[in-house]
Amino acid sequence: MREEERDKWYQYHNEKFGIPLEYLRREYEEELSGKVPVDAPLEVPDRMDTYYKYSYGQQSRFFRELRENKKIYGAKCPQCEKVYCPPRAHCSLCYKPTEWVPLKGTGVIKACTVQYFTTSAFIKKLPFICAYVQLDGTDFIMMTNMEVEDVSKITVGTRVEAAFRDERRGTITDVYFRPVD
Amino acid sequence: MKKVAIVGMGTTKFKARWVDKTYFELAFDAAKMGMEDAGLGREEIDCAVYGIYNDFFQRQYQPDAFVHDYLGLGLKPMVRVNSGGATGGTALRIGYSEIASGLYDVCLVLGVEKCADCYNYELQTATPEVLRAILYTADMTYDNPAGRTAASGFALAVIAHKEKYGNPTEEQMAKVSVKNHFNATKNPIAQSPQVITVEDVLKSRKIVEPFKFYDNCLYTEGSSAVILASEEMAREITDRPVWITGVGASADYVMPGNRPNIHTFESSRVAARKAFQMGGIQDPLKELDLAELHDAFTGTEIMAYEDCFFCEEGQGGDLIDNGTVMPDGELPVNLSGGLIGCGHAVGATGIMQTYEVALHLRGEAGERQLKNARRGLVQSIGGTLCTWTVCLVLEREE
Repeated sequence: MREEERDKWYQYHNEKFGIPLEYLRREYEEELSGKVPVDAPLEVPDRMDTYYKYSYGQQSRFFRELRENKKIYGAKCPQCEKVYCPPRAHCSLCYKPTEWVPLKGTGVIKACTVQYFTTSAFIKKLPFICAYVQLDGTDFIMMTNMEVEDVSKITVGTRVEAAFRDERRGTITDVYFRPVD
Repeated sequence: MKKVAIVGMGTTKFKARWVDKTYFELAFDAAKMGMEDAGLGREEIDCAVYGIYNDFFQRQYQPDAFVHDYLGLGLKPMVRVNSGGATGGTALRIGYSEIASGLYDVCLVLGVEKCADCYNYELQTATPEVLRAILYTADMTYDNPAGRTAASGFALAVIAHKEKYGNPTEEQMAKVSVKNHFNATKNPIAQSPQVITVEDVLKSRKIVEPFKFYDNCLYTEGSSAVILASEEMAREITDRPVWITGVGASADYVMPGNRPNIHTFESSRVAARKAFQMGGIQDPLKELDLAELHDAFTGTEIMAYEDCFFCEEGQGGDLIDNGTVMPDGELPVNLSGGLIGCGHAVGATGIMQTYEVALHLRGEAGERQLKNARRGLVQSIGGTLCTWTVCLVLEREE
């Protein structure tokens, strides 16, 4: 490839995938130099993605209450009286439609660990706590992460309370948990 | 039900990256080896079951169709299964059913996985991007946004187990790592053969409390295949059949909030119990000669000793301390090196484990051959906090 063709190649992939030009140059300079044997494995950039306009279905109220009212709701089975959070529209054991019940937003850490390595999407937040929290008034646990100054302060039994982000988007990350002082 | 035998098998090397092969080319290599081992051509395969885990890894949805095409098996029935880390075990279970039902006589069960085509350009490494692709298998609405990894999910279970029973300790976990890396030094297909010490493991960098670097399996690319046949066909094909005499499977609640506890893997206990019932095994520690257990993490291998009833609940740590699971112990575990030493090519892993046990039962395991191996166990687990488990009991011809 001639130099101007190479520049176009970098530009195209930079615009298509959002991979910075310096990384593309670092990874593909040798390949594009024309010095690589014709039978050598050839690597190219790619990305898989899909846009959504996703429906929460019968869980919709849970996310609207988070976003609009800073409220956490559970879902109570009228037969076995178990309260689900994360909520579900039907009790999976009794097969009865559940009823919405407001929760206080306080809870307790049931299990926790500290992550020192993670996926590309979260690597800049390390280290952080990965924990199961059981909200008061519910019978289930939910996964959460906690970014705290001192990770050693979070242990099984730590009492936590819900806090809400200023900018809420109708996703589970509108709410996060922090230890009760 | 008809009796089902393994009549042929093959595997590629397990490597961090097969840059010179696509997933269907890797599958071809394993299938060819398996067919050659059985002395069969593609025309004699009646049907196929493919174990392929992650479509993002392959950069292809419905990758099974392209494997099937490349293997020249067009117009034969096939199905692809995906049960996370237990994909290989599940593929074998479905392959078993194809033959046991009498519907088909010869079934190719093949697992394949790429992963390191995923790439993080900034960090110049595959793993964080591999983990991102995996995280799409966590509940997308509630769990995915928490940034957890497979390791952190299993770490929570190990921590809960330790809180209840006082083990596995970090030293016990380190011993499992030393054992499995060492076992891999005798396995020519292994990705991570290493002679390391307990100290090396304890000193290695933290990944997720309490796992250090050497407590984790590595991501692997590779393909493994076995060919299953009915008894009638097996007698024609081979004089060294390996019989599948027990099959157990279970799938637990994936949202762990629906489970009564997280310090044990109930799906593993159900699957092992079923497989042992079917195989007529009362005391697995005495009646099994070897086991390949799903050691994605050292701590979960120790939990698997209990979940497979090698000991009472809470006593798993003793089995590594007293040498029971060492190569010269009463019940050697992971002579292949397991996922930690041999590697974890997800869809292929359960089939690689089966290949390993069958190799010993056929007396063809070379330097690491276990003397007089008659009966072995394969445990294949996968999913958030061990959603799926498949257990298989394999026996040699008497």
